[in-house]
Amino acid sequence: MEFNREFDGSGMSCPGPVMGVQKVLAEMTAGEVLRVVATDPGSVDDMATLAEQSGNALLQQTGENGKFVFYLRKA
Amino acid sequence: MTDAFTPAAMVVVGGFVLAFIFGAVANRSNFCIMGAISDVVNMGHWGRVRMWLLAIAVAIIGASLLQHFNLVDLSKSLYQRPTLPWLSLIVGGVCFGFGMTLSGGCANKNLIRLGGGSLRSLVVLIVVGISAYMTLKGLFAQWRVGYLDPVAIDLPSLGLANSTLPTILARVTGMPAGTALLTAMAVVSLALLAFVFRDPRFRKNGLQIGSAVVLGLVIVGGWHVTGHLGYRENPETLEMTYFATNSRTLESLSFVAPTAYSLELLMLWTDKLLRITFGVASVIGVVLGSLVAALATKRFRWEGFASFEDLCNQLVGATLMGFGGVTALGCTIGQGISGVSTLALGSLLAVAGIVAGCFVAMQWLKRRL
Repeated sequence: MEFNREFDGSGMSCPGPVMGVQKVLAEMTAGEVLRVVATDPGSVDDMATLAEQSGNALLQQTGENGKFVFYLRKA
Repeated sequence: MTDAFTPAAMVVVGGFVLAFIFGAVANRSNFCIMGAISDVVNMGHWGRVRMWLLAIAVAIIGASLLQHFNLVDLSKSLYQRPTLPWLSLIVGGVCFGFGMTLSGGCANKNLIRLGGGSLRSLVVLIVVGISAYMTLKGLFAQWRVGYLDPVAIDLPSLGLANSTLPTILARVTGMPAGTALLTAMAVVSLALLAFVFRDPRFRKNGLQIGSAVVLGLVIVGGWHVTGHLGYRENPETLEMTYFATNSRTLESLSFVAPTAYSLELLMLWTDKLLRITFGVASVIGVVLGSLVAALATKRFRWEGFASFEDLCNQLVGATLMGFGGVTALGCTIGQGISGVSTLALGSLLAVAGIVAGCFVAMQWLKRRL
């Protein structure tokens, strides 16, 4: 999937990935896609909640090399 | 009575079974108090806080009814002492809250993560245990006992037996103690339930509602096991004794000091004075309950440290959690549910400290991103 920005939260524990993603999303414009990489298992639920609360669409969630990868579209 | 059914055995087995349920349910429902605070601070989402508050409401109702029907005597618990060590509760709470945020979760969450395959959490828990032991009996204990614990309010000098809401209510209004207990229970629990179920999304979330009710009932079960089943006449002294608890009084779930006692037991196993207690059994129970839930839901996943910075954060956080959890007389579960279920103001102070420490840590982490 194509994306405009990437946030690598590998090695961060909750709530690090959520806070990092929010910071990057705030710098993006509507319609742009953010690719998020995380290693914290809690990020699976956190990204779903973040998408639900913020209105940013969680386009895809996959696993790559033991890491969690998410694609979010800025609302 | 056979050895298998001694009061001590009942307390240990009961503690294990209750904690096993707690660990399995917490894993399945992603129950995490640090995560709940993070959800509110970072996303404005109150779902997991409502879950926490529902567990508290259930625990308050259950513990109060146990007390009302004289099945347990909560006035003998650590949370209802005749002194209010407010500085220890606040400082300990803040340290614990800050530490759990650096460590990505409290002691309970790390036990759950360990069951889910996190070796990182194993290291965190070992450091929590060492730090907690140092705060119970070592270097940190000197600081705690010398500087923090003496700053306390002597409640009998104010005409109060303890710092609980029912005691204060009875003192202020003159109502009988039993009536004050039921009144405080009803007012606090109904207020919590009204807030919890005000959100239509939460009302539809059966997993969170059911899990919170079970977690609250487990806390009530802990009081019943140690305060009723385990409160018997000691055949050696002929005195009524609380069997198989480290505090030598009734307890419910709490995870910082018990982690230290678990390490102590492993290191001094041949010391015949040491026994498996309710707290030690509960530490083991949470890990195994979480393990079973993780395997059943196919979410078991080996996890280690991802970076040097991650390691540093976890170690500092674990040290703060060990110190804070003992100094504040409990953790997010020990004070945050078990303590609050006794309606003790001291527990509310500790929880306020934990939340404040967590909030400050999040602001600090945000600035470092």
